[in-house]
Order: sequence, then structure tokens, then C-alpha cells
Amino acid sequence: MKIDIGGKLTFRGGVYPAEKKSLTRDSEIQPGPAVKQVAVMLSQHTGAICQPLVRSANLVQAGQKIGDSDAFVSAPVHSPITGKVKEIALRSHSVLGRSPAIIIDAYQYTPSKQPRFDLADEFDENRYSPGQICDVIRQAGIVGMGGAGFPTRVKIEPNPQMPKDTMIINGCECEPYITCDYRIMLERTRQIVAGIKLARRASGCSRVFVGIEDNKPEAIEAINAALSRTGNSEKVRVVPVKTKYPQGGERQLIKAILNKNVPTGGIPPMIGVVVLNVATAAAIAEAVLADLPLTHRVVTVTGEAIANPGNYNVAIGTSVRGLIEFCGGVTKKSAKVILGGPMMGVAIADLETPITKTTNAITVLTKEQIGQAKFDRRQTPCIRCGRCLRACPENLSPTKIAHAVKNNLLDVAESYYINACTECGCCSYVCPAKIELTGYIKTGKIFLARQKKMIPQ
Amino acid sequence: MRDVSCVTQDDIRNTRYQKMLSDIIVSPAPHIGEPRSTRRVMIDVIIALVPAMIAAGYFFRIYAAILIGTCVISTTVTEWLCNLIRKKPNSLDDFSAVVTGIILALSLPPSLPFWAAVIGSCFAIAVGKMVFGGLGANIFNPAMIGRAFLTVSFGMLMTTWTVPATIDPAMPRVAPDNMVEARTQATPLAWSKLAIKDKSGAKIYSGRQFKATVTGEVAGCLGETCTIALLVGGLYLLIRRTIVIHTPLAVLLSSFVFAEICYRINPNAYVHPSFHLTSGGLMLAAFFIATDPVTRPLTAKGMWIFGAGVGTITMLIRTMGKYPEGVMFSVLLMNAMTPLIDRFCKPIPAGGKPSV
Repeated sequence: MKIDIGGKLTFRGGVYPAEKKSLTRDSEIQPGPAVKQVAVMLSQHTGAICQPLVRSANLVQAGQKIGDSDAFVSAPVHSPITGKVKEIALRSHSVLGRSPAIIIDAYQYTPSKQPRFDLADEFDENRYSPGQICDVIRQAGIVGMGGAGFPTRVKIEPNPQMPKDTMIINGCECEPYITCDYRIMLERTRQIVAGIKLARRASGCSRVFVGIEDNKPEAIEAINAALSRTGNSEKVRVVPVKTKYPQGGERQLIKAILNKNVPTGGIPPMIGVVVLNVATAAAIAEAVLADLPLTHRVVTVTGEAIANPGNYNVAIGTSVRGLIEFCGGVTKKSAKVILGGPMMGVAIADLETPITKTTNAITVLTKEQIGQAKFDRRQTPCIRCGRCLRACPENLSPTKIAHAVKNNLLDVAESYYINACTECGCCSYVCPAKIELTGYIKTGKIFLARQKKMIPQ
Repeated sequence: MRDVSCVTQDDIRNTRYQKMLSDIIVSPAPHIGEPRSTRRVMIDVIIALVPAMIAAGYFFRIYAAILIGTCVISTTVTEWLCNLIRKKPNSLDDFSAVVTGIILALSLPPSLPFWAAVIGSCFAIAVGKMVFGGLGANIFNPAMIGRAFLTVSFGMLMTTWTVPATIDPAMPRVAPDNMVEARTQATPLAWSKLAIKDKSGAKIYSGRQFKATVTGEVAGCLGETCTIALLVGGLYLLIRRTIVIHTPLAVLLSSFVFAEICYRINPNAYVHPSFHLTSGGLMLAAFFIATDPVTRPLTAKGMWIFGAGVGTITMLIRTMGKYPEGVMFSVLLMNAMTPLIDRFCKPIPAGGKPSV
């Protein structure tokens, strides 16, 4: 396919980890575990934490808003089940540590529902005003479902200071093992296309591209077919980008499609671009057309240690343990339970950690899977081979930054642009000395933010 | 809000849960990695040096075995002793001492007595590497430090060049007649040095000499004579992505350009560039010494500058200096420049410098 928009379909740096998507790529989205209790985190997004709107012993309905915030950059949370609030307690959060969650007991086991969605392909998105769509997106609690969880309303609402003209729908899913976006593209194509139309209407973008890695030809075909069926193939273009990690990072995707660099420390709207995940697009359609708040999401449960890997539509608030047991528990000796994929996911120790809006996968790896990288050989000193520099998609010096952090020289780390790091993990992945470069850089960023009093001690 | 334990009594009774928890590891992302390790990088270099070692064995026979064996054993033992004295964990399993030993041996004159090789190896590891803190911390290439120490200490031994065993000592074929003795002969670079003085560059260098410098049938350091073997090894390193092309290409290109300019100015005094590329330690340095990751700059731009510096200084010494060969000094000089080059070539993020 000829691309006349400037992008070279790829970006500088990156790595090629084994895809391992075959474990789950052919398993259809199944209903997730029936739940008796859920723990809905009050912070499932980037931005202000929600205040609970219910108290213990209150009765809640499925889809009822139970937490919200007045802040602009925030998103409300909803109960996925009908039941009674047990308490508001602390639960493990993959980023924030211990964080408050609303614990809801159902009267009986509530099966996870597939979103009902029987909308005709033909609908007129102009029935809705942009303001209306933005309001529904906000009220439905929709956040970026690719990982960062940035509130979608804030992203797509037109902003006079940063006019947007291009929207990119991200269906890359470059992370190994994960297939939830791939299945959504195959099975919820209509939702995605409807969501694209609505998001386009709301944001006022004139150009829309759907970026999908070229290792998913079926998804490219499905989206293309749905677009031409609904007469949108002129307005929306599917761009098959090259398969390379981290192609799904928004900065890398913008580079691959538009050949533009998002300024360091900046965000895509600065260059007039907004990037939405395919799952987010589907959630927008479900919210606007079917009035469904974001209470369920598709989670890939995968990894060599899982008995029945697959893609499941899971109630947000389900515990990781519940989901793993639902998938038959672990077969072999599990070594690591990861929220997300093996490149950027967070290894968790507490299996009661609830699924949040941004949990796209649970990957359980065996010692063999991680062994080669982390256990067989001890860490050696950096031999300055420079592989991390060549792998870095942001063109940084990971080894220089990591060693500055290690020696507590935060000013040096800053002079090597530590905050430009997107924490994609390519540097640690390629390091022959097995140095946890990404870990050091993450730590350094937290230290710097503390030093500047951006976050509390 | 009160902090409640996540684990209920039911969970504790659930043995499967207990079993799962007991084995879980938590560490920062990413959780997978490439199989390549530091040891594998060093083994790659050793494999790449095998052709050069075979060539050395073919041309210099027992000298090669003695020198390579002595150097590898003494570098290894020195590193082990240094770790013992510093009370550091044993670091021999990364094989970097073996690499240093082989490269040092290949850059020594074949007839060097083994005790001198032992001294050079000890100095290379102890002073060239371990005093800086071991692998990754040294400023200068350890093998070149060892060789420089030997050059200033045993000048005579370090400039005695044995004739390859494949040449009949009684029938000197390659070197100009006035530069041949019974068992030793001058290196090709010494011929060129003489040529500059005599303005006889065209005379000493013809197709026959070129063939000799490419195959390695000339006098010189143990591993530097056979250009083909070094190219094969360098190609292996490039294919394995153990080294990147920038440094070797910059070294070879810059010395070629320098030699070409000299040759254009006065073809009588200065020999053809192809002669300079194939003789002396240039090939060995381009692929194995200047590419030493620890002592070369990190960025691509830095590697170009570094390589160009190595090539140019080598040619400056060869054409204008007192020594016939200058690879060792040029590598050491550029090693000293590496921190400066790194500072000068700091990569700029893909999104440009932050505006704040």
C-alpha cells in the first residue's frame, strides 16, 4: 500500500522480541469469570483520584456511578455488578502501590456479560453534537485502554490552544503475548468503526488513520471491510505499519504514519494529533450508542504457565487470582505474574490486585521464559557496547542515564534527557550485561519528580 | 479508611494460592530479554580471532603457540589475582581477559621471549584494566597498554621481525634485498619508511608485495600480517552484530584518504594506499582493537570521529613520524579522547531538546 502521508511505516530503534501471540490469537473473546465480589479502584486513570459516591452498606446497581471527581483530568468509575458496598479499603495498584478501592459484594455470582450491541452499520453520527459525545465519554468513565489510562474526553475534546486535525487509531498491539486488541478488531469491528466515527465527530479531526502492525493481516482486512461497508473508506485509512516493538507507543506510531516527532516532554496534541486505542474506540461506541459505561474490558490471560490461555471479557474489579483460577490456574511453576505484557507490564506480588480499565493482559511466565534473561547469568558491568543506544526509540543514552541514577547524579541523568524516556524497556531487553536499565531510569524519574516536589515523598 | 489485609482465611487454606505466592518474583519490566550476554560477546570476539590465530600458526609456527598460550594464561592469572587482592568476586567467566590476552599476543613480534610476553600481559591486565575497576571501567585498551609498555621497555625485542616459516630464509623473495638478514627481515612498513627517504616508493611495491601483504607472508606482528584472516573475523563480528560498521569503516576510510593524498602528491616517496591498508596493524586495529566497546565512544557519530582519528593519526605516524607503525599510539591517543568525544556527541532525543 502506498502511503502519501510522509511516514516510513516504522521508526528508529526498537527490538524484535518473540511474538508468542499464537497462544491466544485464535481464542475468541469469552465471558470472564462470574464474580461474587469486585474491588473497583478509585484511581484507574492518569489524573485526579475519584471520590467515592457511595458508602458501605449502600446498594448499587450494575452500571451505577460509584466514584467521581471534579477535576478536569479524571474519569468516574462505575460498578460492574448489582450488590451491596462492603467497604472502601486499600487494594494493590500496579503503579500507585496501595490505593483505595470500593469493595462490592454481589447477592449471587454475577456472570460477566458480553456487551449487547446490535447497532446497524448505518447510523448518523451527526445526530450527536460534539459536546454531547464528549459528555457521554466523560460520564461513561472512558480512559485510554492501551495502558496509560489518560481520560479520553480530555484527549479528544477540541482545545483552541492545541487544534487537532489528525486522529490515529492504535491497533498495533506490539507487546508480545497480548491479543486482546487483535480479537476486538476481529470481533467488535462494528463498534470500532462506530467509535471512530463518533470520536472523529467529537474531536473535529479531518484525517483519521488506523495503524495496525503488518503481522495482523486479518485485522487489517476486517477493519478495511467494515470501513468500505459503511462507506467510510475515503475518510478513514488503515495503515499497515511494520511489526516492531514498540510500534504501539503513540510517539512511535505518529512517527511511523506521519513522520512527525512529538516534542520531547510534550504530548501529541502539540502537533495536532490525537491517538486512541482500538479498545477505547469500541468503548466510545458502546457508551454513546448503547449507553454502557466502562465496566468490563477484554483481558488476555496468557503465558506458558496458564492452563487455558484466552481472551476474556472481564468485569473491572475482578481479582487477578480469580481470573487466573478461572483460566484453570497455573500448570507449570509460575515465576512471575505480570499485569500487562512482558515488555512493559508490572510484575505483581499480590494476586488480589484488581483488574482496572487499563489492564490489557495477565501474563504468567515460567522460570524458563524469563530465566535466560534474568537468572542464568549474573549481571556484569556495562561494557559500553552501545546496543541500548541503538535500540532506544527515543534516541537516548540509556546506559549513561542508568549509571547516573545508580550513582545518584540526578543532574547528570537530566542532562541526558531522562524524562524523555518512555520506559518501553528496549534497552534492558537488548543489554548483554543484563543491567536493569529501564528499572534504573524509572527510579530516577521518580526521584527527580520528588526532588522537584511534583509528587510527595 | 483502614488497611485491610488482602488475604482472607479462605485464601490461606487454599494451598494452590500459597504455592503460587511462594514462587512469585517481582522485578522491573521488561521481563524477557535477548539471550546475548557479555560472555557471549567475548566468545564471539574469540571466535572471530580464530582465523587470525590459524594464520599466525601457519606463518610463525611454534612462536604463535608460545605467545598466544603465554599471554592468555598470564592475563587470566593476573585478573584472578587482582580480584583476589581487591576482594572482588571472580570475573574470569566473562572471558574478557582471554580476549585481551589473544589480542596482545597477536600484536607482538613472533620472536618475543615468553617472559616479556608475561610482563606485558600482567601490565595489560593489572594496570590497563584492573586498577580502573575491571571490565568496563578502563580508559585505555588493555592490550595496547601492555604492548606500549613492552615497546618502551624492550625496544630491541619489539622491533625484531622473524621471517614467516613459509619463506625459505635463504631465498628472500618479498622484501627488498638490502633489508633482509638470515632469520629476520624488515616489515613492509619499514620498507615504506625507507621509501620515503629514498623516494623509491614505486620500486618497493608491486603486485607481488601486495599479494604478500594480503596473504600475510611477510614479517610483522604475529596476527597482523594476514589481511584475509582479519577480514573474515571482522565480517563474522559484523554479521553477529557484535560490532557495528562505523569504527572499522572510519579507520579504513580515513587512512585510505590520507594515503591516497600522499600518493597523489608524490607517488615516488609514498606507497600506494592499498599497501597501507593491508600492511601493519591497521586491519587488526580496525576490526578488533578500535572496536573494543569499552574504550570507544558510544554514539554512531562518536565512532566515526574516533575511527577517523585512529586512521589519521596512524597515517601521520607512518608517513611523518619516527616509528614505521603508529596504530598502537593512535588507538591509545583516541582512547584518551573518548570521554570528550562522548560528551561532544551526546544524542539528542527523537523529539528534539526539551523546550523547558
